[in-house]
Amino acid sequence: MIRVEGIHKHFGALHVLRGITFEVSKGEALVIIGPSGSGKSTLLRCINLLVEPDEGKVLIEGAQVNRPDIRPEWVRQQVGMVFQSFNLFTHLSVLENVMLGPVRVKGLQREAATAMAKELLARVGLAAKANAYPAELSGGQQQRVAIARALAVDPKAILFDEPTSALDPEYIREVLDVMAALARSGMTMIVVTHEMGFASSVSQRILFMDAGRIIEEGRPEQIFENPQQDRTRAFVSKILR
Amino acid sequence: MATVEAVAVRATRQAAVSQRALIRAAEMIGGGLVFLFLLQWFLGYSVTDADMWAVYQRSFVNGTIRTLTYVAIILPVSVILGFAIGWARVSRFRTLAWPATVYVEFFRGVPPLVVVIFASVLGPNLLPERFQSAELGLTLGATAIAFHSAAFQAEIFRAGFQSVSRGQLEAAQAIGMRPMQSMRHVILPQALRLSVPPLSNEFAVLIKDTSLMAIIAGKELFHLTLRVQDTIFREGGDLRWLFAQWTAVAILYFILTFTVSSVMKLVERRFHARGIEAISV
Repeated sequence: MIRVEGIHKHFGALHVLRGITFEVSKGEALVIIGPSGSGKSTLLRCINLLVEPDEGKVLIEGAQVNRPDIRPEWVRQQVGMVFQSFNLFTHLSVLENVMLGPVRVKGLQREAATAMAKELLARVGLAAKANAYPAELSGGQQQRVAIARALAVDPKAILFDEPTSALDPEYIREVLDVMAALARSGMTMIVVTHEMGFASSVSQRILFMDAGRIIEEGRPEQIFENPQQDRTRAFVSKILR
Repeated sequence: MATVEAVAVRATRQAAVSQRALIRAAEMIGGGLVFLFLLQWFLGYSVTDADMWAVYQRSFVNGTIRTLTYVAIILPVSVILGFAIGWARVSRFRTLAWPATVYVEFFRGVPPLVVVIFASVLGPNLLPERFQSAELGLTLGATAIAFHSAAFQAEIFRAGFQSVSRGQLEAAQAIGMRPMQSMRHVILPQALRLSVPPLSNEFAVLIKDTSLMAIIAGKELFHLTLRVQDTIFREGGDLRWLFAQWTAVAILYFILTFTVSSVMKLVERRFHARGIEAISV
């Protein structure tokens, strides 16, 4: 469904991604872990072309999408994204946040978009907050709205960039629950997270990244309980405490 | 049920707002009357002196019309120009950014009076024959004021653009919006929210800066009042009239700037985002 091949990315003198290759199949929830600065966020941003890879291919359903004759906007409609810092549009109500994509990108009529947005908000448990503004919501609620907003343009897959890292502990659960339900419903997901419980229960496969490379790949129990590489072992021991 | 309640709440709130506006207007008119009373009784002149107005009326009316005309032309031109240059300054196309920076630094550093004189005196010589007309010098002078103000407005818009976090743009891109759509629906509304208050400040300055047109015989309020003053000095007259006339000028400029800043307050309210409240300190 999504495949990246030999992705390299430099920021000035910094070689952030050093040849990344992996594939996610349809309906799979892939988790990426790794120390900060290992290139996880950049990798996600390369997949929806928020960052343009210097080298390598991004393929969606077998077709290369990082090429000049394909608009990156089209790619981003296929692959949604949820950010660590939510990034809800502060000047719009919750409902309008979710509607903006369907109305402006998909060209949906306002009534249809409203109905759809309300349905998505109900799905993330926030039907009652439709008319609230982002700054009036808790972090957990904001992140659930962000998930609804990403779903609203009907993507084939969604990228999650540390979706719970900016949350107070009491709000992490509600976001993970929404994500788990999404995974169960068959959404293809690539999730950068350090939530081991989530990774173990929801994902089939974990990639461990360090210094711009994929160091190890395996089932959650293998990565957490029996890592093969020293770097994986060192990292896992730190996050499991 | 909820909607009925919402309508009721909104109606009550609107009634409260219009009531407050009425009280405010009454306060201003009352204050104005007290002010005129003070002028008359303590300073010994009145802005309602009939003899003074017999001399001054025509100049005042014509000057006011001219001043309004200048404002009506210069203000929109400067906003459009300032917005374009402010945008250019933050553009990802570097070739747009640096000329905009040069523009801002130039017009910010040169006295507007000098620019007005250069534009109106030298300007017409630089333009071909067919553009020449009696009013060309004035038009160029007014343009110079617009250019000057645009430099300051550009900085205001730039600050507005830069106050919008990178994440907002990324989020707009992530739902598949094109650059212009992100600009219009996400960046701009948030940038303008912060640009409006300082912009209203700059408008007040600009309105008063139209008086610079007096230096090139702009026939606006300031210029015509100066002419009446000269006449009174030359041919004799009640010197207290001068105070009354300049008071009238001050009041007129005040009304103008106050009107514009009131409109800007409404604009400000329109961009208000709930949950992002100003702190009180």
